[in-house]
Amino acid sequence: MKYETIIIGGGLSGLLSGIALARAGRKVAIISAGQSALHFSSGSFELIDSEDNPLAAIAQMPSTHPYQTIGLDAVKRYAEAVPALFAEAGVEVSGSVEKNHYRITPIGMAKSAWLTLGDYATLDNATTLPWRKVAIVNFDGYLDFYPKFLDNFFAKRGVDTVHHTLTLAEFEHLRESATEMRATNIARIMTGDLLSKIATELRGRIGDAEVVFMPAVFGMFDAEAVSALRSQVRVPLYFIPTMPASVPGVRTQIQLKNYFQKLGGVYLLGDNVCGGEIRDNKLISVRTANHGDMEFHADNFILASGSFFSHGLIASQEHIYEPIFGLDIVADQARSEWYNQDLYAHQPYMGYGVVTDERLRCRLAGKTVENLYAAGSVLANQNPIAEGTGGGVAITTALFVADQIINA
Amino acid sequence: MLQTKMNHYDVIVIGGGATGAGTARDCAMRGLKTLLVERKDFTAGATGRNHGLLHSGARYAVTDQESASECISENMILRRIARHCVEETGGLFITLPEDDLSYQAKFVESCQAAGINAEVLDPKEAIRMEPSVNPDIIGAVRVPDGAVDPFRLTTANVVDARLHGADIITYNEVVGFVKNQNRLEGVNLRHIRTGAESTYYADVIINACGIWGAHVAELAGVKINMFPAKGALLIFGHRVNSVVINRCRKPADADILVPGDTISLIGTTSSRIPYDEIDKNEVTPEEVDVLLREGSRLAPVLANTRILRAYSGVRPLVAADNDPSGRSISRGIVCLDHAERDGLEGFITITGGKLMTYRLMAEWATDLACKKLGRTAHCLTAKTPLPGSEQTESPKRKHIIELSTEQKAAEGRHGTMSRYISSHNANDDALVCECEQVSVGEINYAIENLHVHNLINLRRRTRMGMGTCQGELCACRAAGLLGKANGCAERTLSDLSSFLNERWKGMYPIAWGETLAEIQFTSWLYNGVCGINQMVTPNKD
Repeated sequence: MKYETIIIGGGLSGLLSGIALARAGRKVAIISAGQSALHFSSGSFELIDSEDNPLAAIAQMPSTHPYQTIGLDAVKRYAEAVPALFAEAGVEVSGSVEKNHYRITPIGMAKSAWLTLGDYATLDNATTLPWRKVAIVNFDGYLDFYPKFLDNFFAKRGVDTVHHTLTLAEFEHLRESATEMRATNIARIMTGDLLSKIATELRGRIGDAEVVFMPAVFGMFDAEAVSALRSQVRVPLYFIPTMPASVPGVRTQIQLKNYFQKLGGVYLLGDNVCGGEIRDNKLISVRTANHGDMEFHADNFILASGSFFSHGLIASQEHIYEPIFGLDIVADQARSEWYNQDLYAHQPYMGYGVVTDERLRCRLAGKTVENLYAAGSVLANQNPIAEGTGGGVAITTALFVADQIINA
Repeated sequence: MLQTKMNHYDVIVIGGGATGAGTARDCAMRGLKTLLVERKDFTAGATGRNHGLLHSGARYAVTDQESASECISENMILRRIARHCVEETGGLFITLPEDDLSYQAKFVESCQAAGINAEVLDPKEAIRMEPSVNPDIIGAVRVPDGAVDPFRLTTANVVDARLHGADIITYNEVVGFVKNQNRLEGVNLRHIRTGAESTYYADVIINACGIWGAHVAELAGVKINMFPAKGALLIFGHRVNSVVINRCRKPADADILVPGDTISLIGTTSSRIPYDEIDKNEVTPEEVDVLLREGSRLAPVLANTRILRAYSGVRPLVAADNDPSGRSISRGIVCLDHAERDGLEGFITITGGKLMTYRLMAEWATDLACKKLGRTAHCLTAKTPLPGSEQTESPKRKHIIELSTEQKAAEGRHGTMSRYISSHNANDDALVCECEQVSVGEINYAIENLHVHNLINLRRRTRMGMGTCQGELCACRAAGLLGKANGCAERTLSDLSSFLNERWKGMYPIAWGETLAEIQFTSWLYNGVCGINQMVTPNKD
């Protein structure tokens, strides 16, 4: 099989570089092992966790950081292009590169964000809220939403809360099994009549609350359930992310994938790239677990296979390696150097990843592989969680490598 | 504080491990007005940090006949009184090609002398019995080893002590004693979180603090020569073996593999540590490597089995009084009457020993306390089943199929006490911890009845968060329920952050493969999505 570009990994980076290439008329295939970080996402994307101008904060990052590799101008350019690109795919976001906003986390913390899906409330600052009274509404038997913690969030900011629990006959079937009351299962039945029923319940209960917060269990495949419910309730209705899987995250992944396919991209799901042939500093082809001897050839490749948690990097008892090609990486030798004993302190392993040249091309045994680019969390010298850069690096490096290929 | 009837006891037992809980139970059953105090949580010390091996005593048969005899006798008692904490797995002592087969004859002879039923098996028979065992074995002996859950065992003792009228105080550290001339009359406690101080009085005070007993004795003004010996262990992600596998040689590193509940455990190492490190419980990369290497000799599949956690405990080894250098260390039970030994009235120390002999230790300490108090009640703990292990006349149900998986799991954990767990409705049956099948009903039962103040307590009482995901998905759910019960979101959230850090403590020594992937996911979820790192993380367990 032959494509112009093959992308290894179907998460946020893989999809966005795929979309950018397909929009430019390129013949692209994405080989995806399955779930990605989007499935567990908060529903917001962070550029960098900073109270000041995010770009100014990025300018202060170490020179080895992926943002510095692609350059501040590129970060700004790509970041600014994202809302429109998302909109093309049907993903509605709000936010600005100039200033972060805040979102409310599942356990009632305020966290800074760059772009946030339309499902959620965005706050101008972390300490004062525009409401005096809010209603927090959960479903009976749903354990992945924490009204008590949200109550704490609002109380600390001087906002009164009222709590309601909806008991719905439609959930009885789900609840026959002890493990079925999870976000994505609930989202599957949140359609038509049930939404109207919920809206009726809400209208009868919310009293003088100015706004309603509910668990984000609406709209698996598109945001229709969200807008349908909102249109039937007279006050603003916002959602709070739940523990995994994240319904808005899964939806975003599906919408981006659908858009990629609509643009003519080929999305191979459930396959693992397990190796490739590199000759004269060029990647000729890759092999996958499902296709055996049948090789995938392409002019260019993008490695968007993620970090440890997506198995883009592997740690064995002895060492850390990039499992597909054995690419050059940044990682400490001794196991005891990989981690910090305090979970909340700086964790060195988070910064491990593949090394690249200034165009984000990977290296093997010290030599640049001329047509293999890397994007997203497989890149070294970042700490997506501590820096609050995960979404931003995934998005901007993906669009950067797509441009490298388009402009080559 | 004035001494009143309310705060005066016959006996105060210090230490919430198996020995302390067992002693409180024994005292209460003999009609003594009893108070049990614990610095942190029950089982937080060596009780919760060992193999969970129901020793047959075979391990000590060659080197220490007395300990071996005590073990087999207690082994048989625990099978009767603690049925719901014990699994009758049987055990093997295997000889590998690099071991001396002639040791086997001596081993079997010593077992028989100690009253342990040791039966030599054909290696092929042993492999049939336990397919995970190293197929290269050249010898095998079957012994009546088993598995015992120390968390359940201790909880059951606490519950029974309480049922017999004992009072229980956790999270209070003994910071001093009330002394009147040559007699101890009370203990001064300080709450480890709030700092609130209180005083309780008793005619007899029993120090059952394991390795921490040396410090407590020092507060009372007496010296006990203790030698902390750290042992490290690894927990594997599933049950690799169904029979305990030991090495038939002189006791050495990593030569016992115990199946316990849903997992298997390999251990231990043994190294002397300084006394000021007894609270650290660290496991080094070298210890992990030794455990894996030696463990794989017992069951080769361990080399490729996911490791869930590494942990360590500290054995309270006591040097004989005439040997301050510690050369003649006993692993046997040490019961010190400080009146006789040091001229200090009203103070007893019970230490040494092992989890297997906790009941006997409790019996000795209680016998001595009764003697001091002039009471004549006899010990009934060898015959009276613990709550949860009563032989019920009529079976609770006709068919096992009537119970759901989580109800069966709860019955395994709480025995007959599981009848108090609300079930058979969608709210109570919903699962909080899917790995270990812990329902909302069981969580609420534990919160209401089993001295649960935080998520770590909850884990020890129910196994919530002990499974493959190490609390990744259930910790937040459980925190939601706990927060609802205690009404304090801030405290519960800071508790959640400590809980996750405590899970990590057992993960970082083995942070490769799926463990590293899992913790990255956990960090992504709890720091990235939830922002739990905004909470302060007080150090407590």
